[in-house]
Amino acid sequence: MKHIMGNVSRRSFLKTGAVLGGGVLGGGMPLSQVIWAAEGKVLRACSDGDITKLDPAFYNRQVEVDVMSCIYSKLIRYKPGSEWGWELDAAESIEQVDPTHIRFRLKKGIKFTGGHGEMAAKDVKFSIERIFKHKSFLAPQWGSFDRVELEDDYTGVIVFKTPFVPVWLLSLTDATGHVLSEDAVMKATKDGGDFGLKPPAFSGPYVLADWKPNQYILLTRNPEWAGPKPGFDEIRVVPVDDLKARERAYLAGDVDFTSISLDSLAGFKSNPPADTKVEEWPSLWYYWIGMNMDHPKLKDINVRKAIQWAINVPQILDAAFAGQVNVATGTIAPGLVGHRAKALVPPEGDLAKAKEFLEKAGVNNLTVSIDCTSDSLNSTIAQTVQAQLSQIGISVEVNIRDNSSFWTLGMESEGERWKDLQLIVNGFIGLPDPNYNTNPFLQNQIGIWNWERFRSARYDELAAKANTIDDPDARGKLYQEMQDLMEDSGCYRFLTNGANPVIYRTTKTLASTRPDGAPLFYDFQPV
Amino acid sequence: MWLYLLKRTVLAVAIVAIAVTLLFLMIHAVPGDPAITLLGPRASPEMIAQIHQQMGLDKPLAVQLAIFFGRVFHGDLGFDAFSQRPVREIVLEQLPYTIELIFVSILWAVVIAVPLGCYSAIRRNSLVDQVAGVVTVAAIAIPSFVVAVYALLIFAVTLRWLPAIGAGSGFRDGLIYLILPAFATGIGWVGYISRLVRASMLEVLGENHVRMARSFGISEWRIVARYALPLAILPTVTILGVGIAWLLSSAVFIEVVFARPGIGKLIVDAVNTRNYPIVMGVVLVTTFLIVVATTLSDLVNAFLDPRTREKL
Repeated sequence: MKHIMGNVSRRSFLKTGAVLGGGVLGGGMPLSQVIWAAEGKVLRACSDGDITKLDPAFYNRQVEVDVMSCIYSKLIRYKPGSEWGWELDAAESIEQVDPTHIRFRLKKGIKFTGGHGEMAAKDVKFSIERIFKHKSFLAPQWGSFDRVELEDDYTGVIVFKTPFVPVWLLSLTDATGHVLSEDAVMKATKDGGDFGLKPPAFSGPYVLADWKPNQYILLTRNPEWAGPKPGFDEIRVVPVDDLKARERAYLAGDVDFTSISLDSLAGFKSNPPADTKVEEWPSLWYYWIGMNMDHPKLKDINVRKAIQWAINVPQILDAAFAGQVNVATGTIAPGLVGHRAKALVPPEGDLAKAKEFLEKAGVNNLTVSIDCTSDSLNSTIAQTVQAQLSQIGISVEVNIRDNSSFWTLGMESEGERWKDLQLIVNGFIGLPDPNYNTNPFLQNQIGIWNWERFRSARYDELAAKANTIDDPDARGKLYQEMQDLMEDSGCYRFLTNGANPVIYRTTKTLASTRPDGAPLFYDFQPV
Repeated sequence: MWLYLLKRTVLAVAIVAIAVTLLFLMIHAVPGDPAITLLGPRASPEMIAQIHQQMGLDKPLAVQLAIFFGRVFHGDLGFDAFSQRPVREIVLEQLPYTIELIFVSILWAVVIAVPLGCYSAIRRNSLVDQVAGVVTVAAIAIPSFVVAVYALLIFAVTLRWLPAIGAGSGFRDGLIYLILPAFATGIGWVGYISRLVRASMLEVLGENHVRMARSFGISEWRIVARYALPLAILPTVTILGVGIAWLLSSAVFIEVVFARPGIGKLIVDAVNTRNYPIVMGVVLVTTFLIVVATTLSDLVNAFLDPRTREKL
């Protein structure tokens, strides 16, 4: 069949279809032209979901960050490539004047669309301060932010109450750092609050030309953009939740850039589709097996340590991640400040040592439960742990839960279920600053996101101190010690930071991504 | 007839109200919190409380339900805290995609299956009847999502004739994007309807009025078209009405496989994220659609068969 059909392209099939079906479909443009019309200098890319917000102060998902980076400007932005860093965007210059003051000067001539004038320092002030004024849940990304002082139309000073080092790779560079037009937002919302999905004005290289929910997000060139001309005339982002569907869309030629699943990665690498480049990027996720230290069965640290040492991480990664990811040493991914070179417990564990800990605890015939979400990744992890712990005589009951039910398990506000929680397969997405990846384990997060109920005054003290230290090496050491404390408590067995493989068609585009593989669409170049 | 319509309308309202109430109670009985899903690890108790307040989740269940029905009477399905958009807008945006998928799937299935069923009945035990018998049973047996995946791999990935994902924009583009999903959704119905038409037709062809028509020398095709088919099609019409509910559930799989927008995918996502206003809105609309479809099939039956009409 392939031999017979091999030379019939979609275009010729549709062309024939158009001729044959023209009468049925009525007059106007031939059917085939509908498809041809979509070609040209157009980037077609898949995202992992649809947009739910385009307000930088209230965003929910990564795809929104990817789109907002194209339609708004910010003072500084992430540098493309394999190392985390930043480069100037709307700012002509920016400097740390002292530990709590950052002075910026805006480039002249950055226009907001819709006649909302030129970007000014007052817009920066408005954009940051509204995050706090309207009590955004993203406010913690700005830490100890106090205010913005204006010096002239283009110059301002961002003031923090206490030093907040994450500002460079978190507050200013991530989505909450986008600069909005005060005039446009006030006119659209009256109080400057959440404007949801309708941007009142654009200031980036692209504008949102069209959005069809669950179909596509269409970005076209911003005619008022005075900066460097972006590569593509049009960017069409197609939201596809399912990774396999994304791969099929790529193979069918519907899109030219997409992320792919880890279990397909080996196949794509060994036998890539024509004109395709496969890139593997480390992700910012961190996965671990958590243990609730307040549960009677896990109160004894020796029991927790026995479990830690009985878990063979590479085996889990082979089973659940198709062996395509590296072992994690903590919550901070490689390439970030504070990443540990190795964990305290070796990845393979040691069954003899695990049994020693169990003997020390004097525990026999122990049965514990492990909770996980219902997706195949997490349930595979849970089942592998079940098999591994049986080797030291611990029976494990696996509780598979749907997403929403799982994410309330350890919350004290959601009832008493946290008291029954024992082992947990957990995974959080991180951000490029270690502050974000270590905060959920503070004491004030017990019963909120700290489900292991890990308590360490030293940990909290180091976390507060790490926010104030500029020197990456000195700061890194604090975060490394914090992860040592976590692991030493026996509450955590770190698994992996995951990976984010992407593929793109080299005959269509040269892709540009952040070090975690997130696309920087405005930087993509046509080929 | 008017009394019948009135009865059906009252019944429809009751069915919709019961279905929505049951689902409301079920979804609240399962643990899960939309605010936590929405906010993720960034959530503080204050922020969660704020979302609860926005969604009305801080009120007792009975009050929440009363508020929902109160809004429905005013044509308002509530507000989605996730996207800050009216639920009605979101549902109405997705609904046409599912309706067009169901409509086209049924349409092509009926166009193929009815003549096939008639032919198989008239030429009973012929080669065509035997082959059709095997093929149609196979079509019924294969789940639509399996057909969807293979159709996609053959026609979109390997041959690249048709698009793999999405729904296109505009009428003609939309039709192209509908080919594979409608094929996958409708193929089982080709088998089902053709078997049903064949069986009904065989029964009707043996009835007295058909034998009398034959004795008058009327041609076989005229007998089939004029005297047999209007009666033989009645069970199919009834089944099509009920089939809307079945098609809505298969649409969920098809919408996921082809990454098509639609209310099937919308409700799955909403249930997973405990997005109660969307779930309630979609269930209300789909239950209403099913009730309308079954009522319509009853009315068509009554139109085709005067005996049924008298009972209304």
